[in-house]
Amino acid sequence: MYKHFTTDDQTLNKLRAQENITGISERLRGYGLVSHADNSYPAELLGVHPEMERTVTSLQNQLSEGAYLEPDDENGAVIGSGLAKKLGVKTGDELVFVTQAADGSIGNDLLMVRGIFRTGHSGHDNSLVLVSLPWLQRTMALPGQIHELTLAVDDPLQAAEYVPTVSALLPKGLETTDWGELLPEMREAIASFDVSRFIFVVILYFATGLGILNTIFMSVVERTQEFGVMMAVGLRPRQVNHLVLLESLFLGIIGAILGLILGLLISSYMSRVGIDLSTWITPVTYAGGTIQPRLKAIFETRNFIDPAILLLVVSLVAGFFPARRAAKLQPVEAIRED
Amino acid sequence: MLRTVFLLITGLILLPHPAWSADLRALIRKVEEQYMGLSSKSRMEMSIRSEHWQRTLVMDAWSLGRDHFLVRILEPPKEKDVATLKVDQEVWNYLPKVDRVIKVPPSMMGGAWMGSHITNDDLVKANKIDEEYNFRLLEEDDQHYLIECLPKPNAVVVWGKIVYEILRPSEVPGTVSYFDEEMVKVRDMVFDEVKKVDGRTIPLRMTIQPIDEPEERTIIRYSEIDFDINIDKNFFSLRNLKR
Repeated sequence: MYKHFTTDDQTLNKLRAQENITGISERLRGYGLVSHADNSYPAELLGVHPEMERTVTSLQNQLSEGAYLEPDDENGAVIGSGLAKKLGVKTGDELVFVTQAADGSIGNDLLMVRGIFRTGHSGHDNSLVLVSLPWLQRTMALPGQIHELTLAVDDPLQAAEYVPTVSALLPKGLETTDWGELLPEMREAIASFDVSRFIFVVILYFATGLGILNTIFMSVVERTQEFGVMMAVGLRPRQVNHLVLLESLFLGIIGAILGLILGLLISSYMSRVGIDLSTWITPVTYAGGTIQPRLKAIFETRNFIDPAILLLVVSLVAGFFPARRAAKLQPVEAIRED
Repeated sequence: MLRTVFLLITGLILLPHPAWSADLRALIRKVEEQYMGLSSKSRMEMSIRSEHWQRTLVMDAWSLGRDHFLVRILEPPKEKDVATLKVDQEVWNYLPKVDRVIKVPPSMMGGAWMGSHITNDDLVKANKIDEEYNFRLLEEDDQHYLIECLPKPNAVVVWGKIVYEILRPSEVPGTVSYFDEEMVKVRDMVFDEVKKVDGRTIPLRMTIQPIDEPEERTIIRYSEIDFDINIDKNFFSLRNLKR
């Protein structure tokens, strides 16, 4: 509570000027008791400028009731659904917040519930209250002070690399941490997901390769006489080899096109509708993130291009052995083959 | 046969003497009641020093028996009329700025009361030592008794052990040490400035010293105290809390 600081427009503008930084929000935190009628519960208050907070979190999209904070709304509050239920409040109700302010006095004031959010993250839903920054600064007796600057960057996976740049722009004595340091479990979850996806892809492409190999091999064996005739009339072994490889590549191209069309259709369905698991599971909070019961896909160009190119490579590799075999055929023996 | 008798005797020696334990219980109860009286009205000054700030509150307090307690802040002006009411096991706070009464939930019972080193739980449980604990005499001499209080097996208490010092011959509390469940000393409560008021000998000053924060402490000092005043249960109402 006592580790607070002030920012100036100059610092904020310097941060805004960074092209990697897509959002920035000043925040003050306060812990205390929120109370409505006969119910009181401990809560964490997050004082923000709503228009700034919008750029770093998506709470405004997760409202189950009411509206988000407005910039000039001094005593509005947006409160977690679990906490709202425990307190028995709905939009338009009044809350009392009591805390021990930074000067030791008893800070207390009234809040009006403007909206209720449901993120599925039990920690947030059960204790978080979003309020206006000036209101919390006044109640906590910390005028002009904030506890943290929250930044959003364009590529979260690169966040760690932006840390030195951001750090250099901030006043001395402040510490910059990326989400990977704040949530090491999340970083590990992503790394383990990447490894398991890699193993899965290797198995999948190995099976695909075997399938192509089998198909081409059969077609080469069945056409032994034809290849014999072609070689007898002057086709060179290298040309035969290339012919089979080309067939294999065409197979790959056709497969990739069909696969892309099918994949695009399924992905667009998945990104719009998804798979609803809510009959079986409730939102799971895991490694600091929340898994919603509705599984959805996110469109990413890389996820279409990379597999298609990989498929072409695999089909060429799979065509290698049948092509070699075809090239090694002896015309006379091949023609006589039954 | 001999073995049975031997075992029986050993057993009797090892058993805490029941009458003795009861004496200690009565002694502690007497000391605590001396302090509270049947009813009382007092003015006290609470000065709190913490790592980041220091402040002094002046308060009026009323009590009836062990279960009724009302305190109202007079100074500083910012917190004037903030009040706390304790009835039995429950605590309410009144906040004049927003004109609301807030009941302290069970989860906040361990929280600081008015920013001091006293918790809400202390208000609720502090005066129940003689009911919730078993006693053993550690030391006895001309100057004091040292009594170890261990919670009864099914008592709902926050402390693992309390070592209660009673000064002789005045029979007032001296230093009371509180230990957590790992038997690590958490805080000392030191009573001093013993005076005779209304025929009772009581310490007028109480210092609460958290062990892990040697720079911090809360001192409560009675500037006026009257015992056995004319007051009844109706005084300790939510309506009167607001006034």
